[in-house]
Amino acid sequence: MGVNNEELTLSDEELMTDDEMDDLDKEVSESGSELEDEDMKLPEPSKNAIFNRDGIADKLQDISWPENVGWIHKLVIDFDQEQEVDVNDDLTRELAFYTQALEGTRQAYAELESMGIPFLRPPDYYAEMVKSDTHMEKVKGRLLAEKRSIEEAEERRKARESKKLAKEVQLKKQKERNAQKKTAIETVKNWRKQRKQSGFAGGDKDGELDMPFEDGKVFERSNKKRPGVSPGDRSGGKGRQPWKGKNGPEKKKSKRESRDSKFGFGGRKGLKKQNTADSTDGFKRFNKGSATGNNKRKR
Amino acid sequence: MGNKRKHIETQVIEPAKKEESASERPKRTLFGWKDKTEEKETDPVPPHQGSFRNKEKVLVTCSRRINFRYRHLMLNLVSLLPHCKKDSKVESSSTKAATLNELVELKNCSSALFFECRKHKDLYLWMAKCPSGPSVKFLVNAVHTMEELKLTGNHLKGSRPLLTFSANFDKDVHWKLMKEMIIQIFGTPKDHRKAKPFYDHVFVFSIVDDHIWFRNYQTSVPHNETDKIARGGLDKMTLVEVGPRFCLNPIKIFGGSFGGPTLYENPFFVSPNQIRALQKKKKAGKFAKKVKAKTRRKMHEQSNPLEPDEFADMWKE
Repeated sequence: MGVNNEELTLSDEELMTDDEMDDLDKEVSESGSELEDEDMKLPEPSKNAIFNRDGIADKLQDISWPENVGWIHKLVIDFDQEQEVDVNDDLTRELAFYTQALEGTRQAYAELESMGIPFLRPPDYYAEMVKSDTHMEKVKGRLLAEKRSIEEAEERRKARESKKLAKEVQLKKQKERNAQKKTAIETVKNWRKQRKQSGFAGGDKDGELDMPFEDGKVFERSNKKRPGVSPGDRSGGKGRQPWKGKNGPEKKKSKRESRDSKFGFGGRKGLKKQNTADSTDGFKRFNKGSATGNNKRKR
Repeated sequence: MGNKRKHIETQVIEPAKKEESASERPKRTLFGWKDKTEEKETDPVPPHQGSFRNKEKVLVTCSRRINFRYRHLMLNLVSLLPHCKKDSKVESSSTKAATLNELVELKNCSSALFFECRKHKDLYLWMAKCPSGPSVKFLVNAVHTMEELKLTGNHLKGSRPLLTFSANFDKDVHWKLMKEMIIQIFGTPKDHRKAKPFYDHVFVFSIVDDHIWFRNYQTSVPHNETDKIARGGLDKMTLVEVGPRFCLNPIKIFGGSFGGPTLYENPFFVSPNQIRALQKKKKAGKFAKKVKAKTRRKMHEQSNPLEPDEFADMWKE
């Protein structure tokens, strides 16, 4: 009997869906919204939907358990939600479910406690669980990994911040040092001025302060690099005396200077022109120009 | 993979067969342990609670060519319901109703959960009370299985769940019917032989947006004794989600099991096929629109031709 009915309903269903399809088409082409929703709903209830309340009530009576069944058989708790929950807001929805479960369990536990039945699992009661140990191990691993990644991120953030702080501190120190230097110079200047004002004639000659030869360093070669002179230059910088150029002295001079500083000037060439192990091994500078030339010729 | 599955199926089928034989020959001592349970289950007068005894058994099957995800969901439910019997897959054809009814009868079950997968995408769940009772067809979406690592809870296998329902189940008669069916199918019978005596998880059935949402939480309470909660323990109770999660969208309620007269139709329901068809049509419309626009332009140009330019050959000479 079930078969016939089933087939009947199935064919009915198909027919109806076809009809509905057409209706729906029109509707959607009119409204055209909500299409992206995976879980779509008709904008208004279809009129020809069956709703046989009496039949359902009858069936409910048929299947339901007797009225006086003890709560312990059903373990059902109803929970009244105060306000409507927005479906698309995942967080509030889940929170609503959570609170429902929590309140339900509280009520149920109170009831069970009043019945005096043991209902909590003793800590030494070991039995098969829904999820296997290997699976729980995986879960644990994931939790740990999550925790670790959070910690690492935290550490990185801290390091970044401390770096920033260190920079600031350094800047401050530099400033301080500069200020100190400035004040020192200032004080010296002031002191000199005062000396001059107080009528100390020939103060500079007499002063023990600015006599460089006193410490005997005059005869030593100064450590300073001569500007624009290569280290091996023994010409005493004669090669680049500025007055030698006759035409356009200024311009030439600047050009020469830059080139000299780039390629060097004077000094012994021998050391520079020797091959080294690297240069013999490497093909870096080998036949460079001709290759491009060939290309050009071919074209 | 295939081997594994087969193995499970045979395992499940085996005890059922034994039971059958046991019911035919209850005196046989070879299956002594079986006899005992059989006695226990058919015991007409339990020691307390009067004459009522819940002897619900649920057959859980799925259609052929089911998705792995949905199959896992089904297996999760099997592990949650100690009073269920799993059976091999059933071909999802027009005669499936007869096959399923036969199967249920064969297995001595009083209700059934049938997971029907169509087009490898859409999962329908049939919830049926079996010999004569009503059956409900749901569309299942938002499926998360227990295997997901985000669901960190765990609880005893076979402990009886607490069932919580949102209050809007009492709003209308069809919701009431569904609630009753859910209570009978998802509630583990008291003193079931596979049930464990403690209560450490809770099912949530909540109607939001005309869908039934299912959640399963593990409860964790600080306690020392088995029958008493320490003072303030209820306030310190926390829940950890175990899974699975799913959301049921009722489509129809039928009078019989897996068929019969339709008692209720969801007036808002749009089948996923239609949704997909519409989406496709919308996409296809793009090209059609282009072609249309082109022809329209052509027509327009033909109907109002350009006036001949009088200065066209001015510089020709």
